[in-house]
Amino acid sequence: LTVARRIVSDAAMVRGRTILLILVLMSPSLASAQAMRVNSAKVMSYGDASALLAKSCGADIEANCRGVNLDATRLRECLSRNTDVISAQCKTDYLGVFDAIQKRINARVTVANACTREIVKLCNGSTKETSKSIPCLMTARGVTRNCTQAMDDAGYR
Amino acid sequence: MRRPATHGLRGIGLLAALALLAGLPISPSRAQSAPSRDDIVAKLKDFDSAPDLDISALRQSVLDRSRSRSRKEPDPDKRPPVVPQILNLPTFTVSVDFDSDTPVVRPSSYETVGRIADALVYADLLPYSFLIVGHTASDGKRESNVMLSQRRADAIRDSLVNTFKISSKRVQSLGLGEEQFIDQAHPTSPVNLQVQIVTIAKLPDQSEQPAQASAPAAAKKKAKKR
Repeated sequence: LTVARRIVSDAAMVRGRTILLILVLMSPSLASAQAMRVNSAKVMSYGDASALLAKSCGADIEANCRGVNLDATRLRECLSRNTDVISAQCKTDYLGVFDAIQKRINARVTVANACTREIVKLCNGSTKETSKSIPCLMTARGVTRNCTQAMDDAGYR
Repeated sequence: MRRPATHGLRGIGLLAALALLAGLPISPSRAQSAPSRDDIVAKLKDFDSAPDLDISALRQSVLDRSRSRSRKEPDPDKRPPVVPQILNLPTFTVSVDFDSDTPVVRPSSYETVGRIADALVYADLLPYSFLIVGHTASDGKRESNVMLSQRRADAIRDSLVNTFKISSKRVQSLGLGEEQFIDQAHPTSPVNLQVQIVTIAKLPDQSEQPAQASAPAAAKKKAKKR
């Protein structure tokens, strides 16, 4: 029995130690991981995504991507071509930044789906021209939470 | 005996704090503070009447004037504005860091460009179209300055359209070089290196949609079912 208990407690200790080790290993990146997690719940603004790109990769871009402008396709291509030499922080963040920008672009398309009823019934608009209905949707009464959320994600509000 | 030691320690702490404070503003990625989306929106949204602007004709007239070799050319601070039509329109003026003599936006200004995109997507500005105006100070050749400022305005427009998918119908670009200063009284001032966003028109029957036809089409099907 004592042996068994010892095995159990050993296993617990090992588990505890592993968790501790993971925590220690993660602690430097914890802050940025937390920031990313917060952002994954809410769609990032273009400004925040661009600021994160500059903060994490600004020096890498100046050193390795001279002449490349703020162009998502070309910058991503340049940074992935240089993964050997770019900073660890940049390597961790850059794909997420471009995904965040794409997410916000896609969110504009989502509005047409999430707000179909409101656009047609409340604003006499068409889902072909969602943006024309946005000023109306902003003040209309009876807009669903889903539609409001979609407009937030798209950055209309 | 102990007191001097603690003093010393405190002194070191103070020095470290001072060094930290002094070091903060030098950090390169924060060299410039970006404007907020709401600041940009506030400056651009009060739009009354649209002037008649033919952008490609304006580009040509700016270029023509920069090439004039007349002896009677006025000094830079006496030049009449080449596009006076935009002077009274809603305008947001902002610093953008470019690599010298190129149209490449430096990372220190990425946030600024992103905030401009956020502002153009915001509901209050959706009904309007805009002109990105490039300027230079009065150093170097006038004609090269017009071309550089045009390429810089183009670069910002391209980022807005290609990276942030602002409809290309909503943003145009115009380089004024040193043909129209932001601060005419001081033609060599770096103030004149800034970029301006100008509200130029209310959109007729167009819409701000990223170029993806599939999702709205799906929405239409859904709408039919109801």
